[in-house]
Amino acid sequence: MKITPTQIQYLYQFTRQRYVEWYDLQTELVDHLANAIEQKRQENPNITFENALELEFKKFGVFGFMTVVEQRQKALSKKYNSILLRHLKAFFTIPKIIITGLIFLLLYFVFYVCTYTQEIALFICLIIITLVLYKQTKFNKYIKNKEKETHKKWLFEQQIFQYANGVAVINFTSPMVQFTNFLTRKEFIYHHYQILFFALLFTCQILLFYIIYFEIPAKAQSYLEQTYPEYNFETI
Amino acid sequence: MKNSQLYKGSLNTILMKLLEENGKMYGYEITQKVKEITKGELKITEGALYPALHKLEAEGVLEVEVVQVDNRLRKYYKLTEKGSAETVNKLAELEEFIKNMQTIVNPKLSY
Repeated sequence: MKITPTQIQYLYQFTRQRYVEWYDLQTELVDHLANAIEQKRQENPNITFENALELEFKKFGVFGFMTVVEQRQKALSKKYNSILLRHLKAFFTIPKIIITGLIFLLLYFVFYVCTYTQEIALFICLIIITLVLYKQTKFNKYIKNKEKETHKKWLFEQQIFQYANGVAVINFTSPMVQFTNFLTRKEFIYHHYQILFFALLFTCQILLFYIIYFEIPAKAQSYLEQTYPEYNFETI
Repeated sequence: MKNSQLYKGSLNTILMKLLEENGKMYGYEITQKVKEITKGELKITEGALYPALHKLEAEGVLEVEVVQVDNRLRKYYKLTEKGSAETVNKLAELEEFIKNMQTIVNPKLSY
């Protein structure tokens, strides 16, 4: 006996009630349950849809869908990180390495020779914080509106647009301010290679910030289509 | 899964081998296929299958395709180019493992 469209909708609801928020995972589980229920009812025509569903759900173990959801999150953050790394690597090859070099030289100059090191560092941090707040608000609004419109949530989309929700900024700005604080203290003796190291570290952080908030979101559509072939499908 | 500890380490290899033989497959189909091949001896649990598939997908070993079947969407998995190459290595590794286990369990066979 084939599963009816109403029953499919019921299965979607069933997964949602069991904390599967993400549409792609719901779809996969709905198809799995539907296949299993059809098979069960073929073997035993007397069994009801509800009973067959209950039996099949039990096969997922005591934690239900939780393990599948958690592992899916883990797998997708791994995927996100590998995309991030790929973008970062591009900044260390021709032609983008020129931009990296310029940022590095500028930071090195600020840290090493400039008298207003801390003021400049604070200014850079301020610009970055403002930009992140602006971008984050824009992204949050976009995700919210889209969810309202389509009633679908995509895990990878959320990962792209709400990455760490600003945590990255704090990670970036706090050591930068502390480090420049050290540099401006006259009694602190530092080594030349320490300045080189920090200039390189902050260069990477500026690049990461740019990749997370500008580059990857700009390519979101193609990454999402690649991750979710069903992304552009009409709702059924 | 029967004797789950023994089979656990080989789940990825089992999945890759199945996909190599059958082209593209979906989750439920894989559980049924394994049951059929092993005559019900080995049952892959749902809680282990999907995490394994998602992990292989994130690693670029598998790619996905979504097709509308009946009144629902079905997600198919298939090996990528990288995945096909890796399958060969994984199978060789597994065969080596089986050979070594045989030597240990039944030393006479090695003569």
